[in-house]
Amino acid sequence: MSTIVYSARRILTMNPNQPSATHVAVRDGRILGAGTLDQLKGWGKFDLDERFRDKVILPGFVEGHSHAFEGGVWKFPYVGYFDRISPEGKRFKGLKSIEEVVAVLAAHEKMLAKDASLLAWGFDPIYFGGRRMDFRDLDKVSTERPVVVIHSNFHVANANSLVLGKAKITRDTNVHGIVKDAAGEPTGELQEMAAKYMAYRAAGVELSAILSDREAVWRFAKVAQLSGVTTATDLHNDLPDSTVEGYLQATSSAEFPIRILPAFAAGSVPPADGVPRLQALMKKNNERLRFQLVKIVTDGSIQGLSARMRWPGYYDGTPNGVWNIGPDDIDRILLAYHKAGFQVHIHTNGDEASEVGIEAVERALVAAPRWDHRHTLQHAQMADAGQFRRMKALGMCANLFANHLFYWGDIHYAKTLGPERAERMDACGTALATGVPFAIHCDAPVTPIGPLFTAWCAVNRLTASGRTLGEAEKISVPDALRAITLGAAYTLKLDEDLGSIDVGKRADFAILEDDPLQVAPEKLKDVGVWGTVLGGKVFEAPKA
Amino acid sequence: MIPFTVIGGFLGAGKTTLLNRLLREVTGRRFAVLVNDFGTLDIDGRLVAAHGGDTVTLANGCLCCTIGDSLVTTLIGLLERPERFDHIVVEASGVADPGRIADLAELEPRLQRDGVIVLVDGVDVRERAADRRLSDTVERQIQAADLLILNKIDIAPDLDTTRDWLCQQTAAPILEACHAGVPLELMFGLDRHGVTADTAPPTCFASWSYTWRDPLPRKVLMDLLQDARRGVLRAKGIVRFDDALDRRFTVHLVGRRLDIRDEGPWGDTPDSRLVLLGLRPMLGCLQRE
Repeated sequence: MSTIVYSARRILTMNPNQPSATHVAVRDGRILGAGTLDQLKGWGKFDLDERFRDKVILPGFVEGHSHAFEGGVWKFPYVGYFDRISPEGKRFKGLKSIEEVVAVLAAHEKMLAKDASLLAWGFDPIYFGGRRMDFRDLDKVSTERPVVVIHSNFHVANANSLVLGKAKITRDTNVHGIVKDAAGEPTGELQEMAAKYMAYRAAGVELSAILSDREAVWRFAKVAQLSGVTTATDLHNDLPDSTVEGYLQATSSAEFPIRILPAFAAGSVPPADGVPRLQALMKKNNERLRFQLVKIVTDGSIQGLSARMRWPGYYDGTPNGVWNIGPDDIDRILLAYHKAGFQVHIHTNGDEASEVGIEAVERALVAAPRWDHRHTLQHAQMADAGQFRRMKALGMCANLFANHLFYWGDIHYAKTLGPERAERMDACGTALATGVPFAIHCDAPVTPIGPLFTAWCAVNRLTASGRTLGEAEKISVPDALRAITLGAAYTLKLDEDLGSIDVGKRADFAILEDDPLQVAPEKLKDVGVWGTVLGGKVFEAPKA
Repeated sequence: MIPFTVIGGFLGAGKTTLLNRLLREVTGRRFAVLVNDFGTLDIDGRLVAAHGGDTVTLANGCLCCTIGDSLVTTLIGLLERPERFDHIVVEASGVADPGRIADLAELEPRLQRDGVIVLVDGVDVRERAADRRLSDTVERQIQAADLLILNKIDIAPDLDTTRDWLCQQTAAPILEACHAGVPLELMFGLDRHGVTADTAPPTCFASWSYTWRDPLPRKVLMDLLQDARRGVLRAKGIVRFDDALDRRFTVHLVGRRLDIRDEGPWGDTPDSRLVLLGLRPMLGCLQRE
C-alpha cells in the first residue's frame, strides 16, 4: 500500500472547495488527497515524486464524443489541410495546395506493394480557393493502381481514372453523388453512397466503418493520450464479437493508456436483442473498459448537407437533410433503452433532429418516469435557447461540437446556416446560462482529438479564417476546462469516479507544461501536454 | 449481371409483408434478400437450411441477409460469396430514399438496376406526408418509385382522395393491394433471361409476346411502350432497330422506367422479341400491332 505524493507548479482540481493545490497524493490508483505537502503528511509514509514540479496538473481530460475509427484511419496516409499529430507523436504538416497533396501521395505510392490500392484521408479542399481535385491530379500519382482520397468529412472522396474506369463511370452514368464538370464529364469526385461504394471497392475500407481491431484501438488510445485524454468514448459501435474481443485484449494491458467507453449502436439490432446484449457486455467491464452507453444516430451532418433542419432550412436553399433513423423509430428505440435503465446519447446536428430527440425523451419520461437519466444530445449544433430550456426541464445534457466553429465555421456562416444561426451554433454560453450540463467535443477522426484545442474553440469561437462567431456564446477558460473534465464526466455518468482531483476519485491526470489559467485565452490551444497519469500510472507522451 | 431491386416505403407500409411473400413462394429462382431486421420476417423454421448469424439460407435456395450498419459492405460481401443468385432485393429502411440505393447498381458492374418498388400505406400516407418532419422523406420515396403499391386498401379510408393525391405525386403506375398482394412476377420479372413467359401467368395479370422478323422502326416500339405506359408494368426484350441493323438492343421497362441499351453486335438471332406484362384489365385494352 505505497503512497506517492506528486508535487506540481500548480494543481487545478475542479473541486470548488479547493480549486488549487501544490501536491496530490496517490494510493492504489486513487486520489488520497490534494493540498499542500503538510496537509498530506497525515496519511502516513509516502514517496515524494517531484518530476512534475514545473508542470501543471489537471484532472485527466474526458473526451465525450470521439470514435476509435481515429485509430483505424492512421493505417493510411493523412493529407489534410491542418497539421495533425499521429499516434506516434509525429506531426504531419498540413498540405496547403492540391499539388502538395499529390506530391505526398506520389511519395507514398512508391512504398506500396505491387497490387495494393492507395487510400488517403483527411483531405479538405475548402481552403483551396474553389479549385477542386479531379482524376487528373490523382492520375499523376498512379494510373496503375486504384487511388482514393477521402475527405475530412468522410462523406466525399476523390478517385483516379482507374477507379472510375473499373466501375464504368462515364458521362452517361446518372447517379447521385458523381460530380461532373461543366462539360458533363465525371471529375472523380464522389459523394455519399457513391463515395462509400467506390472506396470500399477500391481499397476494402468502409469510410465510416468502425475499425476497432486491436491495433486500431491501441492507436486510438495513444493519439488520445498525447493530448492529455485519460477517458474517451468510441461513440457508435455495433460491437460485434471481434471488436469486443479487441477491446478486451487491449484494455487488459496495464500499458493501455486510457479508459474507453464504447457506445452501443442502438440502430444496428432491434432493441429486444440489443438490451440483453449490452447488459451481458457490461459484465465484462474492467478498469479501462466500460460498456454502458447507447447511441442513436438521427440525422446526418450540417456540412454534409444531410442535417435535419427546422424552417427555414439551409441558408443556400439546399433541401433538408435525411433521417438515419426516423422519428417513430427514435421514439421506439429510446423508450426501450430508457426503460432498461440506460443512458442514451442521441446524435442530432440539425435543430429539427434536436427537436425530435428532445420530444422522444419527453415521451419516454411520460411513459416511464425516471430520475437522473442524463440522456444527452450529441452535437446539438443548431439547438436554440428554447431547446436548451426544454433540455434543462427534462434533465438532459448536451455535448456541443465546439471544434466545428473553427473547422467549418466559415462555411456555416457563408453557405449552410447563414450569419445568425452560425453565430449562435454550438451554444456553450446558452447551455451555461440555462443550466444544461454540457461537454464539448472533437468527434475524432472528423476533427483531431485535443481537448485543449476544443476548449480554445469554445472560449474564442474563431473560424479558420479568423472570424469571431458569436461573441455572446463565448465561455470563460475555467468553464471550458470544466467542460473537458468534470462536465464531460457528468455527461457520461462518470463524475463520481473521475473528472476532478478529489479524495477517492481515480488518479487520472493531464500533465501540462503551462498553466491554462495563466496563459492568454487565445493561447489556450498552445499549452503543451507532457503526458498523463492513468490510475496512478505515468504515461509520458512521445515527443515529436 | 444480376437484377437489383429496391423495396422502399415508410415504416408500416408493408415492405416486410411483401418480402415474406417473396421468400415463401416458389419462384424457381434464387433470391438474395437484404433486410434491416430478421426479427420481423416470418421465416418458417422448417425451411431454414442454414443459419449463420447475419444470414439465413432457405431450402429453396434463397438467402436472407441483415444489413447491419452498412449496406455497402453487406452488398459487396454478398457479391463476393461463392454462390450465385438470380436476383438481389434490398429492403430500404423506412426513412431511406430507395432511389439512392438503386444507384448502387450503376456503380457496380455485376448488378443491373431492376425496379424501385415503393409501398405506401393507404391508411396514413397522407397524414405522414403532412407531418413537416416527414413530408420530404415520404415525397422522396414516392418520387423514386418505378412502381408504386398502394397497400392496405381494405382498411384505407377515403381511398379515392389518396389515389388522386398519389397520381399527382408520381407518373409511376400505381397498383392497389391488400397485404402487399401483388403478383411477384410483376415486381421481380419472369426469369433471368426474361424473354419467354414459360409459366402460366396467374389470372389477374396478362402477358403479351411480340415477335418481329424484320428490323423494327424505333418509333413503333416507342409508341407501343408509350401507349402502354399506363397498362404495362414490365417489358423485356431483344430488339433490332432498322436504324442500327447490326446492333443488339435490350429493352427493359419496369413501371415508368425504360432502359434501352446497346449490348453489342446483333449476332444470329432471327427475330426481335418483346414480352409485356401487365394487369389483365389494363393490358386487355392494348391493340396488337
